[in-house]
Amino acid sequence: MEEILGYLEGKKNIVVVGCGGCATFYHTGDKKAVAEMADKLTKEGKDVTKISMPLGMQACETEKISIFLQKKKDKVENCDAILVMSCGDGVQVITEYTDEEMGIAKNVYPANDALGLVGGGPNQLKETCQSCGMCELGKTAGICPLTACGKGLMNGPCGGVREGDKCEIDEEKDCAWVKIYKRMERLGELDDFVEMNDPHEWGKMKRPRLFELKEPMSMMDMMGSMMNLNTISGYMSMMFAKPPEQKEEKKE
Amino acid sequence: MAKEIYSQMMKELSEGKYVFTGELEPEKAGNVDAPIKAAKEMLGLVCACNVTDNPQSFAYVSSLAAAYKIQLETGMECVYQLRCSDRNRMALLSDVLGAGTLGLKSILALAGDHVALGDTPDAKPVFDLDSTTLIHMIRKIVDEGKDLGGNDIEDPPKLNVGGAAAPGAAHLGAEVGKVKRKIKVGVDYIQTQVVYYQDVLDKFFKELGPTDVPILVGIYPAKSFGSADFFDKYVAGVDVPPDYLAAMKETKAIKDKEKKREEVDRINLEFFTDFLEHLKGTPAAGCHMMAVGYPRIVGPLKKVMD
Repeated sequence: MEEILGYLEGKKNIVVVGCGGCATFYHTGDKKAVAEMADKLTKEGKDVTKISMPLGMQACETEKISIFLQKKKDKVENCDAILVMSCGDGVQVITEYTDEEMGIAKNVYPANDALGLVGGGPNQLKETCQSCGMCELGKTAGICPLTACGKGLMNGPCGGVREGDKCEIDEEKDCAWVKIYKRMERLGELDDFVEMNDPHEWGKMKRPRLFELKEPMSMMDMMGSMMNLNTISGYMSMMFAKPPEQKEEKKE
Repeated sequence: MAKEIYSQMMKELSEGKYVFTGELEPEKAGNVDAPIKAAKEMLGLVCACNVTDNPQSFAYVSSLAAAYKIQLETGMECVYQLRCSDRNRMALLSDVLGAGTLGLKSILALAGDHVALGDTPDAKPVFDLDSTTLIHMIRKIVDEGKDLGGNDIEDPPKLNVGGAAAPGAAHLGAEVGKVKRKIKVGVDYIQTQVVYYQDVLDKFFKELGPTDVPILVGIYPAKSFGSADFFDKYVAGVDVPPDYLAAMKETKAIKDKEKKREEVDRINLEFFTDFLEHLKGTPAAGCHMMAVGYPRIVGPLKKVMD
């Protein structure tokens, strides 16, 4: 909060945007988080305008964020700064959109320190993929050492494996290479463990990476998909529902 | 055994001599006076000395500069330690070519501790290569005169390349698998991380099975309780035996400097004599004595192996 107040020093009118994607899912930019942030800023003497995006409406997609920014165009035009509760993608898409499409130059600040792509759940989430552009999972028993190993080694483990097969730099974390070893052992593929993996080709990760979709999904298509699920709650229940038990087919 | 022999250490190993190596640690300073002094004390006692590269990720004088200067000024053959933590494959290649240019004959290729463990924890860790791919790269440079991209290297350096092993690793199967991988890519020799326990060493050799790659087993006679305690607390993958640590701790109470030195030497000699006697019956080709800042212990310990 101290860092945020530092950014906002001397600025009175603040637009707080909460992303409806990951930040809503992880409660770092959902409606409640935006309201709490607004309260804190109000107590610091700021005039706050809230933009809360519902689940499924991500700040990192221009088409979606544009709807919300245009709806409060006056506030956005007259604010002193925009505070974005999202990852760095959301912050930068808003910066680019306000600059280039709305033609207004505003300070856009991050409220969050995004930790990366994570998977798993429901409580513990972990980073398992860094979207490096050159997937190595086929060589490493389905566990990415570039992400799961503290050192990102293509040929491990390092010499620092701790008691309980934990990581050299964090005893809370498992050693990725011992996990790879154990999985190869279960798969009966330990002979592959002693083969060298070539150095990773980082050439596929020239930043910034740009993508062009030949057939981008339109808002109408997306809304249609959502409608098929009837409601957001229907969508959520589908996400968390257990798969239906398979009944054994009777053989005649 | 290595196809080509470039270093004195490799020559002695190929002749079947029992080899001793020492260890020198450059400091956070603008000179390498202390390791030069230690190297002079170990001349004739060890056939080569490793020069550490930012050990435990504490940033010190470059091991390349230090190894060159120590070798030049003392005549002690230096094993240039090179770790992947701080350099990408381009920088590693440049340093390997630099080592050849400066007349170094042996490199110990290491992944290196993570920078988070050291005195510059906010540095960006590199690990573009790992110990195995670094060994592979050095093999390609030395044997084929090519870099990893297949580019030609004129007058390639003549270097022997070593790798590390951690007999005390928490998961021995995975550790030995990695060591076998290093052997497959052509490592010339192996120096192990510090071992304190005889049964740990025996299990390691048993799991590894026969190999013609010479293995030098690492020991760490500590010059003080502080050094031993630091090793126990902060060196990844190593546990110092509690009895040894407790005995070293008692030396802290001795006020007379000379008596304290004598007691520290006595404890080290007692503990490591037992270990070295055991070492004689293992497949080890030698002993890597990491007596950093403690060269006076090397002579007495070496006598045990006579």
